[in-house]
Amino acid sequence: MENFVSGFQDAFQLIITMDPEFFAIVQLSLVVSLTATLLASLFAIPFGVLLGIREFPGKWLLVRIIYTLMSMPPVVIGLVFFLLFLRSGPLGHFGLNFTPTAMIIAQFALVTPIITGVVFNGTKERGPDIQDLAKTMGASPTQTVWLLIRELRINILSAVVTGYGRAMSEVGAVMVVGGNIRGHTRIMTTTIAMLRNMGEYSLAIATGIVLLLISFVINSLLYHWQQER
Amino acid sequence: MKLTLSSIRKKYKEKTVLQIPELELEEGYFWGIIGPNGSGKSTLLKIIAGLMEATEGNVLYHNHTLNEKTRRSMTLVFQKPYLLRTTVYNNIAYPLKIRGYSKRDIHMRVNAMLEDFGIEGLRDQKAWTLSGGEGQKVALARALVFKPKLLMLDEPTANIDPSSIILLEEKIREYYAMEKPTILMVTHNIQQTRRLCNRGAFMYEGEVLDSGDVSHLFGLEANPLVQSFIRQGLI
Repeated sequence: MENFVSGFQDAFQLIITMDPEFFAIVQLSLVVSLTATLLASLFAIPFGVLLGIREFPGKWLLVRIIYTLMSMPPVVIGLVFFLLFLRSGPLGHFGLNFTPTAMIIAQFALVTPIITGVVFNGTKERGPDIQDLAKTMGASPTQTVWLLIRELRINILSAVVTGYGRAMSEVGAVMVVGGNIRGHTRIMTTTIAMLRNMGEYSLAIATGIVLLLISFVINSLLYHWQQER
Repeated sequence: MKLTLSSIRKKYKEKTVLQIPELELEEGYFWGIIGPNGSGKSTLLKIIAGLMEATEGNVLYHNHTLNEKTRRSMTLVFQKPYLLRTTVYNNIAYPLKIRGYSKRDIHMRVNAMLEDFGIEGLRDQKAWTLSGGEGQKVALARALVFKPKLLMLDEPTANIDPSSIILLEEKIREYYAMEKPTILMVTHNIQQTRRLCNRGAFMYEGEVLDSGDVSHLFGLEANPLVQSFIRQGLI
């Protein structure tokens, strides 16, 4: 209990004193997760929409693969990219291991199936109706795509926010490919894991509280958008 | 808009659900398409509207296959229309926006429609809060606002309140009288067909059993099976 109380005190202290090292960690966490989510969104949103409105052979298999990847353990994703980025690995010449870029790539791989799956679920439910309406109104293919995105915006926003939340809260993938190097690849979740190993429980709790605060803001936004329904 | 259906066949797996060797829908007539459930009426409308592809055959407009431009002059209103997740005003404005009308024109036309349908009070209401009858009024207003030359209606007054039915029928009749479009209306309501249509086609098991003037379809000259269905009210 003592750890929790001092954890809250430390969290408050960290925020009001604007500890530079801590804020660099928060900033890197946000940058890595935001970049990964944005890049994943660029690919996953159109992919999820197309998957929802198009029928093609083997679609059932692709959907099952996406659902499987949605629950892929982050540490496994981290391990796969770590091996790919090893000097002796197929992508070793890029020298990406233990860099923020590798962390972004790993989180991109983690988040893409999640955004695709959520967008797909929303689109398969309403996409065909939207597409039919666009056709009966005489919309061009481009106008149809815009209408789909506009009509599915709440679902798309939910997918992006869910993906971002997942990226922000994961530790396994970034720990493996990033290495938790101080001032270079250390982010909030890896800091918590490290502090726990060091027995610095109250500081770990403090970091967790700040992470929770960020999640709270994200979820509040999601709730706000869902209210629009 | 003269439409010719030429050797149309639609198959689901191995089952033929629609087979029309030749059907000519002359321009400027109000067609009532009637028939029992599963007779292929809605499938026919979807194929004409381009929402479904025929397994074989063609839909011709003045002897040419339908293209994007000709499709822009037609529309289909569903029994359960999809309304955009926005206000009533924006729903009715949508077909005008995608046709590049100016804001002023859109404003004028949409307001005229709202007034015409007696739904000015719903102008800023979100579409998902509307009742079935209100939603159908918005869907019809949205379809008529760009003055389509071919108007397809798939059971437009099914499951809605009687006062809305009266208004919708009145608006459809007015539009037909003013613009003389071709109208294809799928309905189960024989009285409604008599009230509104001047042409009729009776469909059964994917085929057009009989078609022509409404007085013919409901008269003693019609196909005996059609007469039997209509007499027994089995549509």
